[in-house]
Amino acid sequence: MRKILHADCDCFYAAVEMRDDPALRDIPIAIGGSPETRGVVATCNYPARAFGIHSAMPMARAMRLCPHLTRLSPDFEKYRAVSARIQALFHELTSLVEPLSLDEAYLDVSEVTRFQGSATWMARWLKQEALARTGIVISVGAAPSKFLAKLASDWDKPDGLCVIAPDEVEPFLLALPVKQLHGVGPATAAKLEALEIVTCRDLREWPLESLIERFGKFGRRLFELARGIDERPVQIERERKSVSVETTYHRDLPDLASCHDALTPLVERLMARLARHGTPAIQKLYVKVRFNDFSSTTLEAAGREALAARFQALLDGAWARGERPVRLLGVGVRLTPEAQRRQMTLFD
Amino acid sequence: MRFTITREDLLRPLSLVAGVVERRQTLPVLSNVLLEVRDTQLALTGTDLEVELIGRTAPHHVDEPGSATVPARKLMDICKSLPERTDITFTLEEGRAVLRAGRSRFTLSTLPVAEFPNIEGSQSDTTLTLTRGTLKHLIDATSFAMAQQDVRYYLNGMLLEFGHHLVRTVATDGHRLAVCARSAEVEVEPSQKLIVPRKGILELARLLDGSDEPVELTIGGTHLRAQTGDFTFTSKLVDGKFPDYERVVPRGGDKVIIAERGELRQVLSRTAILSNEKYRGVRLNLEEHNLRVTANNPEQEEAEENVAIEYEGDTLEVGFNVGYLVDVLGVLDADRVQMTLSDPNSSALLEEPGGGDAMYVVMPMRL
Repeated sequence: MRKILHADCDCFYAAVEMRDDPALRDIPIAIGGSPETRGVVATCNYPARAFGIHSAMPMARAMRLCPHLTRLSPDFEKYRAVSARIQALFHELTSLVEPLSLDEAYLDVSEVTRFQGSATWMARWLKQEALARTGIVISVGAAPSKFLAKLASDWDKPDGLCVIAPDEVEPFLLALPVKQLHGVGPATAAKLEALEIVTCRDLREWPLESLIERFGKFGRRLFELARGIDERPVQIERERKSVSVETTYHRDLPDLASCHDALTPLVERLMARLARHGTPAIQKLYVKVRFNDFSSTTLEAAGREALAARFQALLDGAWARGERPVRLLGVGVRLTPEAQRRQMTLFD
Repeated sequence: MRFTITREDLLRPLSLVAGVVERRQTLPVLSNVLLEVRDTQLALTGTDLEVELIGRTAPHHVDEPGSATVPARKLMDICKSLPERTDITFTLEEGRAVLRAGRSRFTLSTLPVAEFPNIEGSQSDTTLTLTRGTLKHLIDATSFAMAQQDVRYYLNGMLLEFGHHLVRTVATDGHRLAVCARSAEVEVEPSQKLIVPRKGILELARLLDGSDEPVELTIGGTHLRAQTGDFTFTSKLVDGKFPDYERVVPRGGDKVIIAERGELRQVLSRTAILSNEKYRGVRLNLEEHNLRVTANNPEQEEAEENVAIEYEGDTLEVGFNVGYLVDVLGVLDADRVQMTLSDPNSSALLEEPGGGDAMYVVMPMRL
């Protein structure tokens, strides 16, 4: 039986800002771009959540919900520095750490002998040390698999510590609403509800074939999750598959010519980002366009160099698919997989 | 149409012909096999528009000649599951095909014979004859190195080269290359090169055995036809330029080792268990009279093997995709293998000690 921890900082960006300026602690704050630039909420604190504000919400909407909301632009340098110290703390416990983002990670502590191997004590220690060393509160979940550990860390946020011991998995799962399973979004939830599947207990009554028929590949995952089956290992190294940049414009770009103009600085930003990643080997280039009716399209082509002219040509093709004002433009490259980079080739 | 045939007489050609039929088809009629009865002969045809195979067999009774197309898989599954030595009577009744065998009856749908496509032969044909054994050896020695679904479409096939008393096959996926040549009583001037698609090669190999029975090859501008025994095989050719194999066969290797083929293969297969599942990389360390093979994976697990080799020279450390080496050792037709290396960034040449009819080139992997 594995022992997995999922650790997650509570409203991370907001927590860092509140730590540095206690005056922000009890007033609603949101981190993200300004409404004038069509910014969205990256994180907000609990006082802001009381107004119905949540992450990924357009900032303009957040301001309407809470006119006295304090908005701060994100300071990623600062967040990265705090994140590095928290990740270092995780590594003191085990080398099997899978970072998911700046403020979130899975830890496989199955083989850890400290704390007499108790996941509960390890979780308590992580919380205590994170607060003492960085001033940031983290929630930790412990369980026999990744998806249960993540559910556990969400269980009694903020400042949560929830352990699902092996013998508690079964009752926990039976009562678990399917909406909370990883990968079940609003669309799948509605489909499940139409089938009168509300809890994992309901889900278990469906045979694998019927679920696959209705939900495709995800049907198998649903079948397994309902039974607590999740063998995904904690992955230490995660291969970066692509590098991209995108921008949502203050005002829609009205025509192709203005898109071409807007693409140039995007490509420059992409080049800078690629340089920061050590100029990795490129396999494909792509351009993403979101039109003002919110339809999106991505056009890609094989290529080894991030050349501006190639992106401009792809933009022509992508634009032709909608031919209407553009809300968002993105440029990116898909990277050559590690295995392919290592294998030398006979030709060229 | 009405004829009676013994299960075994039908099943042998049917299973080969049905192999050509793809499970997913754009044209419904391509899921079918064409049955044509004339005089005392039944001909079965399967095609996917790229490869066509005709198999011939003799019913022991032909009451009425005719033709029909019926679903290939279903016909095969029915015939397979009938008892051995059963006599099967086949009739066409109101546009449907009816099979009767003992107390069983199956009624199958048909599609019009006129819709069944056939691959046209081409002009300016060259004809030559090889033994089945020779052609089979040439294909088996190289086919593993063909690419699969590569964007360089011409690599998803095999190069056949016919020249002055010589036939050569070449296959490569860009990471490794296999080439095999045999002398044969053929005379093609100037020499001809053609690329047969991957599927055509695999289906052709199924028709061949190691015997000295003849295979008559007809080379057209766009097609290759092979006639042997009761089968006629036709494949479209790939229109493209195959890479020049001679350019990539290394000539300057100064580190020559000789190992027992079977032993080395086992050593590599065992080491592979703890190699990184994605890269499949293993490290070879050449030392005097010893080859050390090691592998490790992200879980920090490690494998180390040592195997005695004939080698005197400088040490060398070089990495390879273990699968590429094991593939070669699996097809080499000798008890011992010779491997010629030069440095960690240059290809390895594998062949029989002293050189045989086949050569294998494998590019290393950075570790």
